[in-house]
Amino acid sequence: MGKSEVKGMVTSLSSMFPAEEVQKAAKMVEEKLSEKQNEMNQLKEFIADNTSLINLVQKLPDELHHDIMVPFGKAAFFPGRLIHTNEFLVLLGESYYTERTAKQTVEILKRRGKSLESKVDALKAVMQDLKAEASFFDSTASEAAEGLVEIREYEEDNSTERASQSGSLELETPSVAEADNKMGASEDDEYERIMSRLEELEKEELAAEDNEENLEDEDEDANAVESDSNEDELTKAAFHRKKDECYSYLDHGQRYSESQSRKQLQQFNGKEPIEEMSDKYKHQDLTNQFASTGLTEEPVTKGEISHGRIIQQDTKTLSPSINASAPFEKKSVQTSKTEFDSSKAFTGSIVEHTQNLDKSSVGTNTTSLQSSGSQPSKPVSRFKMQRK
Amino acid sequence: MDSLRQEKIQKFEEFVDRRLKPDVVHAIAERDKIFDQQKIFSDLRKNIENLEKNSVTSLRTLVNLGSEVYMQAEVPDTQRIFVDVGLGFHVEFTWSEALKFISLREEKLERQIEEYTRLIASIKAQIKLVCEGIRELLQIPEEKTVEGRVF
Repeated sequence: MGKSEVKGMVTSLSSMFPAEEVQKAAKMVEEKLSEKQNEMNQLKEFIADNTSLINLVQKLPDELHHDIMVPFGKAAFFPGRLIHTNEFLVLLGESYYTERTAKQTVEILKRRGKSLESKVDALKAVMQDLKAEASFFDSTASEAAEGLVEIREYEEDNSTERASQSGSLELETPSVAEADNKMGASEDDEYERIMSRLEELEKEELAAEDNEENLEDEDEDANAVESDSNEDELTKAAFHRKKDECYSYLDHGQRYSESQSRKQLQQFNGKEPIEEMSDKYKHQDLTNQFASTGLTEEPVTKGEISHGRIIQQDTKTLSPSINASAPFEKKSVQTSKTEFDSSKAFTGSIVEHTQNLDKSSVGTNTTSLQSSGSQPSKPVSRFKMQRK
Repeated sequence: MDSLRQEKIQKFEEFVDRRLKPDVVHAIAERDKIFDQQKIFSDLRKNIENLEKNSVTSLRTLVNLGSEVYMQAEVPDTQRIFVDVGLGFHVEFTWSEALKFISLREEKLERQIEEYTRLIASIKAQIKLVCEGIRELLQIPEEKTVEGRVF
């Protein structure tokens, strides 16, 4: 079961790279290479033109005028002569021209020559690559013709399967007694697997939430310190009074939250992640159910091991109504989770700012709480309450 | 029989791909060259007519030395013009002579263009014909077998 085994494949090179295909590829590379060769020739021509032009430009100012045939269009000439032999109009690019002397023109042309040389170098590198590619194709073709084979070995590791199986095993171990009572456990195998997966996901989420809580706590600390120092610096008495009011409100809030039943709190901050609470809640519920069914002792001992597992086992053994309700509850928890995750960004820290607390009247207590509840991802208020 | 047909089809396809299509490309390139020539001569004619109209006797222009480097040039006498008559020969003309020559030349170029256009059309028609032949080779034998069964 889940043992890793070494598998292997032997494929002949000629089946992977048919000779025709390789030849085609080699041909393509050859074509590319010849293309590049043409480009290179063109560049070389440009360079030759450039050097000859440099010579010409250097030579022209030696005399005051040169008798030439002045081109008139492409197919006609006039007999004429060059004048102003030290004045050149040079294209700079983008149809901008400038008047230069012979020396300056030569400098420009030399710079042009340099850029051409660098182009030639780049092209040479490309051609070298192509040549290497061509030689590789040739060697592949010859190897394929010789009948070379490729051997590929790999270890098959079906880790997901193993994990799920081990998960189901773990699940079954604590409930041996119950398992005896159960009939057709294998039928529920798939269900179990799904539940174990769900459990894993929930754990991950819980861990993520814990991390976040820590982060938020730190955030809050920083904020508190900041606000304290700010307020100390700014104003004294009035602000302190306000702060006291706030704290009193917070104290009140804590008491309030403690006294309040969990359901109500849920309603209050609808989007709040209430993972642990709901779990505990469910657990209590379920133990109650167990008490009614007379299976109390066993589940309680198991309760210490883990909540989620118990829920799963219970759902199986208990009446079908709970069976139906339990997954639903889980689902609701998860949906709230995802919502929270999607909007976890920085809204929390914004709410923690002092402006919110500055709303000083006692009447705002409930409103502020409600407003925080109406906005998504407001675990902040709860943590604040618990902290202070 | 089947292999023979396959061979024939392959031959036809090769003929189209290796012979006819390159021919078309070549012919089109040749015709484009002649179009260029036509443009050159029509430009020259316009320029000469322009000179005539403005009765220009001397002219200053910029000469391209290569790589877009220009130098001023002076033409003291514009009455005589040297026109390319082909094969690297240039003939000294007066303006009226040049215009006459250019019109003759344009006529000739026109004829050449027409010739090439016809050539291109005929090659294209041949390509179409061969393609049709391939299509027939692929289809008609099947029909024949059907007929044979019917008979």
